[in-house]
Amino acid sequence: MSKGKKAAQYTILTIVSLFSVFPLYYMLCGATNKSTDVVTGRLIPGTYLIKNFQSLTANQPLGRALWNSLRNAVILTVLALLICSIAGYGFEVFHDKGKDVVMTILLMAMMIPFAAIMIPLFRMFAQMKLVNTMAAFMLPTISTPFLIMLFRQSARSFPHDMIEAARMDGLSEIGIFFRMFIPTMKSTYAAAMTITFMNAWNNYLWPKVILQDDSSITMPMLVANLQGGYKTDYGMLMLGVFICTIPTAIVFFCLQKSFTEGITGSVK
Amino acid sequence: MNDRNKGLTLEKKKNLIGWGFLLPAALLICWMSFYPMIQAFILSLKSGIGVNLKFNGFRNYARILKDPTFRQTLFNTFFYLILQVPIMLVLALALASMLNNKDLKFKGLFRTAIFLPCATSLVSYSMIFRAMFANDGLINTVLKRFGASPVGWFSNAWTARIIIVIALIWRWTGYNMVFYLSGLQNIEYSVYEAARIDGASPIQSFFKITVPLLKPTILLTAIMSTNGTLQLFDESINLTKGGPGKSTMTLSHYIYNTSFVQTPKFGYAAAMSIIILIMVAVLAFVQMKVGDKR
Amino acid sequence: MKNKIITVALLTAMAVSLTSCGNGNSGSSGATRGAAEDDNTLNVWCWDPNFNIYAMKKAAEIYAEDHEGFKVNVTEVQSEDIETKLTTYMSSNELDLLPDIFLMQDNSFQKYASNYPDIFTDLTDSGIDFSQFAEAKTAYSTIDGRHLGVPFDNATVINAMRTDLLEQAGYTLDDFTDITWSDYLEKAKDVKEKTGLPMLTLQAGSPDIIMMMLQSCGQSLFKKDGSVNIKGNKVLKQSMEIYAQMVKDGTLREVTDNDQYIGSLNNGSVVSTINGCWIMASIIDQEDQAGSWELTTMPRLDAEDASNHSNNGGSSWAVTSNCKNKKLAYDFFNETFAGSTDLYDDIIQKGAVATWAPAGETDAYAEESDFFSGQKVNSMLIDYGTQTPSNYTGPFYYDARDAIGVALSNVTQQGSDLDSEIDTAQETAEFNMEG
Repeated sequence: MSKGKKAAQYTILTIVSLFSVFPLYYMLCGATNKSTDVVTGRLIPGTYLIKNFQSLTANQPLGRALWNSLRNAVILTVLALLICSIAGYGFEVFHDKGKDVVMTILLMAMMIPFAAIMIPLFRMFAQMKLVNTMAAFMLPTISTPFLIMLFRQSARSFPHDMIEAARMDGLSEIGIFFRMFIPTMKSTYAAAMTITFMNAWNNYLWPKVILQDDSSITMPMLVANLQGGYKTDYGMLMLGVFICTIPTAIVFFCLQKSFTEGITGSVK
Repeated sequence: MNDRNKGLTLEKKKNLIGWGFLLPAALLICWMSFYPMIQAFILSLKSGIGVNLKFNGFRNYARILKDPTFRQTLFNTFFYLILQVPIMLVLALALASMLNNKDLKFKGLFRTAIFLPCATSLVSYSMIFRAMFANDGLINTVLKRFGASPVGWFSNAWTARIIIVIALIWRWTGYNMVFYLSGLQNIEYSVYEAARIDGASPIQSFFKITVPLLKPTILLTAIMSTNGTLQLFDESINLTKGGPGKSTMTLSHYIYNTSFVQTPKFGYAAAMSIIILIMVAVLAFVQMKVGDKR
Repeated sequence: MKNKIITVALLTAMAVSLTSCGNGNSGSSGATRGAAEDDNTLNVWCWDPNFNIYAMKKAAEIYAEDHEGFKVNVTEVQSEDIETKLTTYMSSNELDLLPDIFLMQDNSFQKYASNYPDIFTDLTDSGIDFSQFAEAKTAYSTIDGRHLGVPFDNATVINAMRTDLLEQAGYTLDDFTDITWSDYLEKAKDVKEKTGLPMLTLQAGSPDIIMMMLQSCGQSLFKKDGSVNIKGNKVLKQSMEIYAQMVKDGTLREVTDNDQYIGSLNNGSVVSTINGCWIMASIIDQEDQAGSWELTTMPRLDAEDASNHSNNGGSSWAVTSNCKNKKLAYDFFNETFAGSTDLYDDIIQKGAVATWAPAGETDAYAEESDFFSGQKVNSMLIDYGTQTPSNYTGPFYYDARDAIGVALSNVTQQGSDLDSEIDTAQETAEFNMEG
């Protein structure tokens, strides 16, 4: 690639990156300044980080919220990936017209605004006496048509001759899935893991309805609490928001290399 | 004779296993989404306030036609859809293919930077955007520096909508880029090599190789983005609060208000939700018909 | 085969751990869910650790001095979330998930009391003396003569002014005390000329000030019979005209959101603000402005029953029908929020001013505020509170308020004609009130 084209690419990417990251820089500045400085628009980091942190921990159960959010997000991600990837694989590898119809029907499930199904969903869990349980918290979001479709689409590029060869070698269908599909489709799993973790972490509407007491507080709920009073401490708020953002960023950063491991290596 | 029977049962067995694979996921969805959806539909046939709901046939749907707010929010939502989704998807695709280049340095940094917006909490980025586009905020200051007159971004219906479009593009481009990046991994590099040797320019290989081979992923993101934008809620509530007046309010926001903020009219809210469902379904169906060729 | 067994085992283990985690949660948190089982405990939902939660915990401490073993379990739930939860529970008929006590915004009280009366316990005969609370406040939680809530925080409207800037323009605080809006408009223009700053900043599209003006005359967006009072409401029209005029004069600057509004107070780009007294907490935050602010009354409209006082916000405690120990709750409130000057003396340091008249007679309330140039702000607020006219909120408060917000926004930002916007607002409000 010519030098000019390369320079152009780097420039575009840098501009886009700066544009993407600027609001986060603002957030970081906010987290280190005191409230009045934040609202009056100060753009340089300050010296209030420790103080904001102390106010934050005095005001809210930060540790507990972090632990709850982490535990919930991890368990939900593992379950969701397992259940949805095997479904997506099933849709593609055992493809037939019937399955296409089912896929289309399942897609419709995500097309209704959550506000509309929230109350019937709640009523169902209340009748089963499952309010405020982990089960109630997770079940609605484990299986999403979105994830299933992601895996289905990616499974298209999974070579079927590999499957045939494996079958002839005597491997069971489940075996093929666990031994061959999962290791090969690392990039898809990495992408799915990031997105699922992020959605699980940031989920607010359903948890706030189904969870009842302080011991099950999650990070988004904590951040909402910071805004609830007559007077908002903006420095503390920005710090809380920053802490809420970090885990997803870390997950992404760790996994983004895996996005780029294609199937070329594993075909052998 | 024996062989044929054996073949049939093997075939059947495989088929059953195939259905077995998707059973847990499908059952969960039916239970968690379809069952409440049916209840929502039944609810949409009732009208009344709070808990006093009585069956009223399709009166709610007729009421929707008379509702000026519904029309306004419908317009707003579609405006966002038509403007934001294509721009965002094209941008995401372009960025993903740039970041797929083997020789590019700092890839990890660029990718994380572009993804970070969607990991950012809604609270913080809406505060930041409001501050940036405030009447004496960053954007206007820059405009003044260049001699242009400052714009009342949030006070004008059209500029407020543009802010939402910009916010959406800022936030979700990275998200879609992740899928494209992962999808691009499944296109062997040798294909690009061969094309280069044959004299294809980067633009040509983009349109003739990348796009067609990435079709399944593009279809996925198109359906997801359409669904997401038609159900847009967070930005309308947090960024502009639907204002000025109702000119940036989305359908989902209006539905939420109808159930939880104003006098609760669940039947009416349910009816509006069913309408959204139908619209999204039709659009998705069209997209699948166009794009889902094997 | 081995793989299959492992897979199944793994999945089963996960499923079991999932449900047991669930049970674990409900087991340990049984104490704080729903109403308290223990007859010396009350479960409370409210928000704001600095203000409401602090007050509730303090009250529990005080009560526990004479009633050993008493405690409250406070769960922090945002106001909006309390309302969502109430709506969700009532629609699913799950009353036994309600706590014993919750805090509710005064503006929403009537909506819930009318639509979901089964949530509340009637407190009229509970022994709590409601006459000692400011009438304007008890009105919010009273339906058909029945008291359903204990008023809590005072949200009396104040006019907080930068006396140093006023001086620059040649005015004193007295020039703005107990005046009319027409007088205010003129003086505001003068101040703008001499200092270059607007008198007020407000969030665009938020009709708070219109509501305040209406209440200062004892009016609201509804007539006593419940019908919408927008079209033909002279006081409303006057209020909106004042608003539009000030925007035109440049004496009212609209900002985009709350953080911008607070910012304008803190960075000195506005001369005064008219809002509920809770805004004082944000003003005090800017320490280097100490001594430059003073409080006075808001201007009055040109109408019958016009006054210089109003209310904006505030909240009241409600006892739910699910409470197993109602006598305990009544007694608790009687000895704390409706009976303890010690409580109010303590929470005053948090900026929580009482609506309970006897509280205003203590020394703590007579203290002078350094920030507000030596004014005895707390006793001023109690005083204002007693002079505030009450008005009829109605269950459709938010529907009508919403319509006015849109009308206001259209008039100031798109230059629409006020009369036609008022007509549209009336229609929108009535449309939304239909089932």
